[in-house]
Amino acid sequence: MYETLFPARPRGRSLRSLSVVAAAVLAGALAACGGSSSGSHSTLVFADLAPFSGPDAALGPIYLVSCDGTTNAINKAGGILGHKVKCTSADTRGEPADAVPAVGSLLATTKNLALVIGCTSDEAASVVPVIDKNKTVMFCMTGQSEFDHLKFPYFYRLVPPDLAESYAMTVIAQNLGFQKIALAFGNDIGSQTFVQPAIAAIAKAGLKVVANETLDLHATTFRTEAAKIVAAHPDAIMTEALGNADPTLFAEIKQLNGGKMIPIIGTSAAISPVFYTACAKAVGAADFAANFHADNLVTATSGPAYTAFTHALLTVKGKVAGAQTGDFTTYFTAPGAVHLYDGMNLAALSMVAAGSTDVAKWKPWIAKIGDGVPGAVVVHSFAQGVAALKAGKKIRYVGPGGPTSFDAYHDSPGIFQIDAYSASGAVVVSGSITATELRAVSP
Amino acid sequence: MSLFLASVGFGLITAAVLAIAAVGFTLQFAVTDVLNLAFASVMTAGAFTAYLVNQAGLSVWVGLVAAMAAGSLLSALLNYLVYAPFQRRGSAPITLVIVSLGMALIIEFGIAGFSGGIGVSYRMSQGSTVRLGGLVLTTVQLTIMAVSVMVMVSVHGLLRYTKLGKAMRATAANRMLARNCGVRAGRVIALTWALTGALCGLAGTVFAINVGTFDPTSTDIFLILILAAVFLGGPGNAYGAMLGALVIGLATEISAAYMQADYKYAIAFVILLAMLAVRPAGLLGTRT
Repeated sequence: MYETLFPARPRGRSLRSLSVVAAAVLAGALAACGGSSSGSHSTLVFADLAPFSGPDAALGPIYLVSCDGTTNAINKAGGILGHKVKCTSADTRGEPADAVPAVGSLLATTKNLALVIGCTSDEAASVVPVIDKNKTVMFCMTGQSEFDHLKFPYFYRLVPPDLAESYAMTVIAQNLGFQKIALAFGNDIGSQTFVQPAIAAIAKAGLKVVANETLDLHATTFRTEAAKIVAAHPDAIMTEALGNADPTLFAEIKQLNGGKMIPIIGTSAAISPVFYTACAKAVGAADFAANFHADNLVTATSGPAYTAFTHALLTVKGKVAGAQTGDFTTYFTAPGAVHLYDGMNLAALSMVAAGSTDVAKWKPWIAKIGDGVPGAVVVHSFAQGVAALKAGKKIRYVGPGGPTSFDAYHDSPGIFQIDAYSASGAVVVSGSITATELRAVSP
Repeated sequence: MSLFLASVGFGLITAAVLAIAAVGFTLQFAVTDVLNLAFASVMTAGAFTAYLVNQAGLSVWVGLVAAMAAGSLLSALLNYLVYAPFQRRGSAPITLVIVSLGMALIIEFGIAGFSGGIGVSYRMSQGSTVRLGGLVLTTVQLTIMAVSVMVMVSVHGLLRYTKLGKAMRATAANRMLARNCGVRAGRVIALTWALTGALCGLAGTVFAINVGTFDPTSTDIFLILILAAVFLGGPGNAYGAMLGALVIGLATEISAAYMQADYKYAIAFVILLAMLAVRPAGLLGTRT
């Protein structure tokens, strides 16, 4: 039996196999020796670790559009210290259970991994400690409040905590004169994190929660949930349930509400071409555009930073799988695209400023270049930054996401605006949210 | 709007879609002896076939016919290329379950690779809203219910009055005995795969019409509901599957009206477990 399973091999072949293994080990060891300094101008890798399948599958491609566009711009400007940069991706499926092996595989198999981007609220809690332990810098798109006061030295984020988004949605409701609010959030970690802060902020603002439905993102219809919402007669619905859930819910609410949509207030995650396209198909583009608002961070819509950003992204228009539908200009205001572009540029400029791709040397430069130091000149793109550094100047990078202000936990929350869609799917800014307004609804 | 009556309406439409799938699944299982967990993936393949036809500018109802053809072909190929060779080698039933699970993933990820994994919708109107007492349904949903009733009547006619139906029943009851009585069991099994595959494609398309937006993973949870309906009614019993679909459809939607809606699938299984505790063979099943 054992002879059949493990037949004896000729000795010569065994020795040959041993030689091959030894050669492979030697080659691996040599590669590892050169790994830390990324010698001989090897290609550096930025990894997009995010959901590419499952209910939040729209997020990964947004970040990849940003990654491919940014690395194109960096490479066009000569690369980082002579190194070309490329993007890779790893699918977390939006589930911690899938994210952990995905990040493990990414870290184990990616040579010259310089930066991780993505790490949404769906998986951040499980992957951030792993990436941090691996001493890899990450720019994450999570808003989870637990990262407000946890020290992960390699963790950075340019988006506000989710509770701030809940407050911003409440301010939108207040400003639009809505009194009775229904909540409809997905049952994923990333969506549920908004619920309690929203309930507290709505109460503080003197508004009323009339329905609170949790949507199973794997369910296929939400008619009963829609019926309960319609029966509660809300003035508006606050929601984040990505994938098919929100479009299906909106269509069913419209059907049960006599063909009339109820106004929707979404989170910044709803600013994506995929989301717009799905909702417009479900309820009609004009109806959706007339009834939808979302909070979003203030981003530039003109000026040199915006021009460099849009030029970078346009180089990958129609080339990224999963990001080929809808109005491409939506990516110019999609938070994931904007803030990760800034994060990648900050990382790349930090390497150039430090004169090294050794993370221990370049990481301290992120805050210096983002927040600026006395006498720094403002630059709006990687190419501009490299030119200024070559000229011996100190620089401060201000990208399309605006200036950063990192705290001790490497958080740099921005300020909010109110976004809407035109019937053609273009994002339009319909108002602003002041810090005073946010404070007024903060419990 | 009475929430109870509204949820009864939602339950009926869920039951209508579920009944088509459950009847197809249980017939397939009874005649072929394969608990085909790739059934829901074939449904998805059917739904995407209809989507391609619809995107080409044709009506989704034309797409539905194409989906039935695609489901039929895919199921027949699954049997011919995968399940039948395993059965010929005397593989245990549990092996075939695992094989079918593998096929489900292959088909699902194949569709995801092809479609990009994002949600899509048919180009169609949901029709006008019809209010019948407290029920709120669209004309398209009423059409789906009518299609479901037609399928149930047709399956009844097939099993009761046709030579093929009788041969299917004989093969399901005892394949060896059926062979000895002159039934060409191999041919009956092949035809059953094609026929239930067509039902599968039909179920996938009406499922997609009903939910509005669908993606390659949309039928994952639905497979669980199909299994619940089939085992509640009595595995291998077409009439049991119809009854099981009605109970599961109504129970999930009515329960969602009175408690947190994300418990509705748990409710379906509580009912299934309670029923199996009382009648282990299912509502219409018989002990052997």
